[in-house]
Amino acid sequence: MGSKPKKKDYQPTAADRASASVAMAQYRYFKEKYDPLLQQMRDKAATGDGAKKTLRGRGNADTMQALTAPSYQRAQNISTAGDMAQAYQGQLGVANRSAKDIENMMKTNVLKSARKQAATAQTGMAQAARLSTSDALARAKNNQDVAQAKLNAAAQIGTAGLAKGYDNYQSTGSVFSSEGIARDANGNPIKLKDGTFKTENQTLGSLFGRG
Amino acid sequence: MVYARGMGQLEPFIGNMTGRGFNSTGSLGYLPSVSNPDQAFADITRNEYLDFINNYGDFENDLIAQSQNDTSLIDQAREDVASASALTRGVAQRNASRYGGQLTPAQRQQMDRRLELSNTLGGAQSVNDARLAQREMNTGLLNELINVGQGVNETSQNQLGQSAANASARNQAYQNARAQSRAQTYSTLGSLGAAALFMIPGI
Repeated sequence: MGSKPKKKDYQPTAADRASASVAMAQYRYFKEKYDPLLQQMRDKAATGDGAKKTLRGRGNADTMQALTAPSYQRAQNISTAGDMAQAYQGQLGVANRSAKDIENMMKTNVLKSARKQAATAQTGMAQAARLSTSDALARAKNNQDVAQAKLNAAAQIGTAGLAKGYDNYQSTGSVFSSEGIARDANGNPIKLKDGTFKTENQTLGSLFGRG
Repeated sequence: MVYARGMGQLEPFIGNMTGRGFNSTGSLGYLPSVSNPDQAFADITRNEYLDFINNYGDFENDLIAQSQNDTSLIDQAREDVASASALTRGVAQRNASRYGGQLTPAQRQQMDRRLELSNTLGGAQSVNDARLAQREMNTGLLNELINVGQGVNETSQNQLGQSAANASARNQAYQNARAQSRAQTYSTLGSLGAAALFMIPGI
């Protein structure tokens, strides 16, 4: 019969502990270094990170550069101002649209990253649940096996007791007495004249009381 | 809009972890000891969700609202119409004065009318373009958000499916174990009965 299993034999190995330790350190590193960066990105994205101002400034500069070059003819032209107004509005419209595009892209990228983090955790949760389920099943199965083994052991003991009792009853007329070799005061077997040993009924008490 | 800042739920989480599956060393220079990876994993997962809600929940809600209600491009175009007229009138007047040119009253009146007309037409076009652009932007943003949401939905469904499968496996294992237990109990009782019968004289 083998020795009882020891819990320490089922502890994580050094490699397991190192792996978990490094993973936890990396996770903490991520949370301390990268998570704040994503939060900064979130705050920048909320305002478009100045893209609108930059692009409108550039649109304004392009318009002025193209339409305000020094020219007497332009200065005298009565449609110059109107044309410039239209061009200016058009350029600002393009700048606004590009800025909004950038802002939306930044925002959705931040959300995708944040969501991916949560999704990774959720996938982890499913894995953890799977591991827990395996543990729970193994534990239930073990309990079941132990209970069954106890019942089987009790049945075996009961069967053996019944058989012995029956045997005793057949030889001595009592379930709790068995036929054994009689001994003298010194504990030596008593030999009969025909060379056989004398027998006597022995009870459970006499068995333990024998010196 | 000011969103939540910092590590949110992580700090109390690290505190809670001490003495459970995880001991924080308080420094990245050292490796933390993880005595119960299963517990640490479960806690991280739970707190990742809380972190998201804390740090990005409002941000996401604002973005969803923006995809449906944003009129910033149109509003900006309207503002620009008003400023463009004054700006370009000033540019034209300064240019004219630099060259010493003098417009006749009729020319000046014509220029004003032309500027006003151009500004009005340009403004109308600008606002209409902004409307189209706004619609395009909002639709694009909504599409992106729907894709993100679809990913969330898919992950959640998978997770729920996994939970259901786990529950089913547990139930199945319980039923199997119960049936096995009954069978073994009857088998043991049968052995006992057979042994008893064997000992009865005359049988």
